[in-house]
Amino acid sequence: MKKLNLPFLYMACLLLVGMLFSAVPASDNGYQVGDTARDFKLKNTDGKLVSMADYKDAKGFIVTFTCNTCPYAIAYEDRLIDLHNKYAPKGYPVVAINPNDVKVSPKDSYPDMQQRAKDKKFPFAYLQDETQEITKAYGASRTPHLYILQKQKDGSLKVAYIGTIDDNYKDASAVQKKYAEAALNDLVQGKQVSQPNTKAIGCTIKWREA
Amino acid sequence: MIKTVLPSVIAALLLVCTASAPGFAQEVEVIKFDQLQQLRQQPHDTLYVVNFWATWCKPCIKELPYFEAANVLYKDQPVKVILVSMDAAEDLETRVKPFVQKRGLKADLLLLDEVDGNSWIDKLEPKWSGAIPATLVFNNKRKQYEFVESEMTQEELTKLIEKYKP
Repeated sequence: MKKLNLPFLYMACLLLVGMLFSAVPASDNGYQVGDTARDFKLKNTDGKLVSMADYKDAKGFIVTFTCNTCPYAIAYEDRLIDLHNKYAPKGYPVVAINPNDVKVSPKDSYPDMQQRAKDKKFPFAYLQDETQEITKAYGASRTPHLYILQKQKDGSLKVAYIGTIDDNYKDASAVQKKYAEAALNDLVQGKQVSQPNTKAIGCTIKWREA
Repeated sequence: MIKTVLPSVIAALLLVCTASAPGFAQEVEVIKFDQLQQLRQQPHDTLYVVNFWATWCKPCIKELPYFEAANVLYKDQPVKVILVSMDAAEDLETRVKPFVQKRGLKADLLLLDEVDGNSWIDKLEPKWSGAIPATLVFNNKRKQYEFVESEMTQEELTKLIEKYKP
């Protein structure tokens, strides 16, 4: 009896569960190292709209797609703050962008972002990409996902590095390779970035459901 | 409206789904990337369906029942479903095992204990950005391979398995 019932039950479950959900595929397109990145105008947690063009003295940016909800993003919050504090004075501030759709990920709502920015005393802008237009243009797929941009003579922003912060998401004290810092050091010294692409496991971006 | 009833509907479904299955604690084997590579190179005429997930990954949890069901449906066929957790090894006893037990997971379970994705992701699949869920299907004997970096529907998973199943 049991043997007869099992497949039927599983099929019934699947059918129902399958009907309740539909997946939205992420975009494979986006920037590669060497591409010119677009600017944006997104709302910061203080209510003001922020563009990279507002940072007159910046030599570039550490554009970071991150969020309130991903354990990896949370694990890297303090290191992102450190990165900003170390490199903003050298011309490379962090600009954090929350890409997640609020309906799919309610804890990434604007008020939740404001609370998080306040609790962690973010020294950088924490912007909401409500339409996910910027996230798609950049081709970010996970949180955290870093794009280090370098301002060119004509004012355009060239993608110099895409990847992760370092080689140990769990334990900042056990880090051996600081990928993002190495790239920033290369840029600050006027050199080519020697390792312009790195990868890490991260939370998939929560795309708006059709 | 739907949001509010959804969790209870799912809970009820899962209960029905798991209640009829015999209860036993599934083992979770902690592995390093080398062992994952060995799995990727298995020479058998078997379709391996390897799903990367984590207890903290909501879209992964959403699609887990589909993989579990595939594991049951193709039990007597050369199809092997393997769930590879990306949870931290430290969370094995406190998070992963309780989750596995609660959900009654029966597919083979591995936990990949690697902290630097950059050291191995490209070796496994250069197209993978590192976002999960992600799924590899392969049959090395028949030189078949496909990679999916997104959440799948039940229908998509079935289609994928049916396409390659020996």
